[in-house]
Amino acid sequence: MKSWVESVRRIGFLLLSVVVGLILWQLFTTFSEIPSFIFPKPIEVWTKLITVIENGSLFYHTLVTLQEVIVGLALGLTAAIITGFLLAKSRLVERVLSPYIVASQSIPIVAIAPLLVIWLGPGILSKILTSALIVFFPVLVNTIVGLRSVPCELYDLMRSLQASTWQRIIKLEIPAAMPVFLGGLRIGATLAVIGAVVGEFVGADKGLGFLVNVGRGLYDTALVFVAVFTLVLLALGLYGSVVYLEKHLLSWQKRNGD
Amino acid sequence: MKRSGKLILVLLVVMLSSSCAGLKSVEETPPELTHIRLPMGYIPNVQYAPFYAGVEEGFFAEEGLEIEFDYSYETDGVALVGANELQFSLVSGEQVPIARAEGVPIVYVLAWYGQYPIAVIAKSEQNLKVPQDMAGKRIGLPGLFGANYVGLRALMGYAGLEEKDLILESVGFNQVEVLAADTSEVIVGYIANEPVQLAAQGYDLDVLLVSDYLDLVSNGLITNEITIAENPDLIRRMVSATLKSIQFAVENPDAAFQHCFKYIEGLEDADQEVQRQVLESSLALYQIDPYGYSSPQAWENMQKVLLDMGLMKEEINLTEAYTNEFSQ
Repeated sequence: MKSWVESVRRIGFLLLSVVVGLILWQLFTTFSEIPSFIFPKPIEVWTKLITVIENGSLFYHTLVTLQEVIVGLALGLTAAIITGFLLAKSRLVERVLSPYIVASQSIPIVAIAPLLVIWLGPGILSKILTSALIVFFPVLVNTIVGLRSVPCELYDLMRSLQASTWQRIIKLEIPAAMPVFLGGLRIGATLAVIGAVVGEFVGADKGLGFLVNVGRGLYDTALVFVAVFTLVLLALGLYGSVVYLEKHLLSWQKRNGD
Repeated sequence: MKRSGKLILVLLVVMLSSSCAGLKSVEETPPELTHIRLPMGYIPNVQYAPFYAGVEEGFFAEEGLEIEFDYSYETDGVALVGANELQFSLVSGEQVPIARAEGVPIVYVLAWYGQYPIAVIAKSEQNLKVPQDMAGKRIGLPGLFGANYVGLRALMGYAGLEEKDLILESVGFNQVEVLAADTSEVIVGYIANEPVQLAAQGYDLDVLLVSDYLDLVSNGLITNEITIAENPDLIRRMVSATLKSIQFAVENPDAAFQHCFKYIEGLEDADQEVQRQVLESSLALYQIDPYGYSSPQAWENMQKVLLDMGLMKEEINLTEAYTNEFSQ
């Protein structure tokens, strides 16, 4: 009962904050002399939102970006987990590969995105890869840190129980590394959206990043706002999904704590 | 030294220092210039040679103007001029009707290019001889917006083609690379840029220039309705200086090219022949008689293209979108 009341209170405050923000936005745009093509009114953004929902274009472009994000996230995660495991287990591999990995992350993604279009063409693959590249590093770092944070005593315990390598990985290393890994996944999930949009900015004919470009090109700033808010919701949705996953995968932490 | 003597000495030093500073400050004080931040719409490039030459030759200073070149996006320049945050910007012609249709109160006051600079380019083996030959081809362009897209759709309209008749690919500003790699069979680009770069790499090309088929309003200088109403003299001075600069570049291409080195980082390391060819191709676009004149037919044609494309929902009053008052 108490947690239900607490949830209602939290949602209530959130809604109140959103409503107050919208009122302040409307008042500011109504009484200031800023033209709509610079900063549209909330009612104009709402009207545009209804238009693009009714004509199906928002759903279409959102689906395209979501597809790029999910596939990019999966690709980036897989590469980061495999590479992270190798680097965590072998100092030699880490010494050899680390300079290249760190150097690659120093290159801004906006500089790489046009090269990907040249190498892979203007299709969805270049956007997926942009998304995967931006996800890779934070997840990699958290995978390595997570695997290396397993206490030595637990390895001793597994050895004393004559656990196989596979049992050690499944029953010790993965559960122990999971909290840190999921922290990296939270960051990666939101970065994946940024990566997909950067790819679409560079060269695309669909997706929410393309919609932002269309809005800019037509001085339809309300459309830009609609696309940006949709991207924010997309990122929040992914972040929330990871938090939900965390609650389930790390429920043993709470039980042990109890 | 007595105390009074020291005081006199200090006073003398202070007086001498002040008079020297005053002399120095008189020498350094520039004549009063109006500072103009001018969005160019692209990166520093040889195609802006008239403006670089205009600053270096003093045409803008003669009119009391101090120009600061701003290489932000074209659409940002339009929005800032429309909001009266800036007074002028260089834009492609199609931006004006599109923006005015959305309530952005910009006005085109000087035609810089006499021809729409967009071309459709292919390697000669694609046999692109007339616009109808685009049918069935993979066409790479920066995106489904801007001058490249408008130019392509204008040519498609002339040829009776629709988007379903060809394959459009948004390749970003990588047209040279995608054509060289055969990722696209045809590309859309600026006549003074992509064909010059590709020819320099040894490719035989077929080039179809949009302006050979349709007269469209092209790159020019915009201002806003507030500046026209409150400060027409500023516009006259800016237009006058720009016209002198354009004429200078056409009549003195060597000098205009030399002035570019100060403003384009790395130009000295670039292929000078290619860059010079970019300038020559650009100069060919400036040929209007008289300089700066906007053709009413070009505006009508542009509006029709934009309406057919769906980039405008209804006609606007074109007489409010441009004026030849300041350039003629």
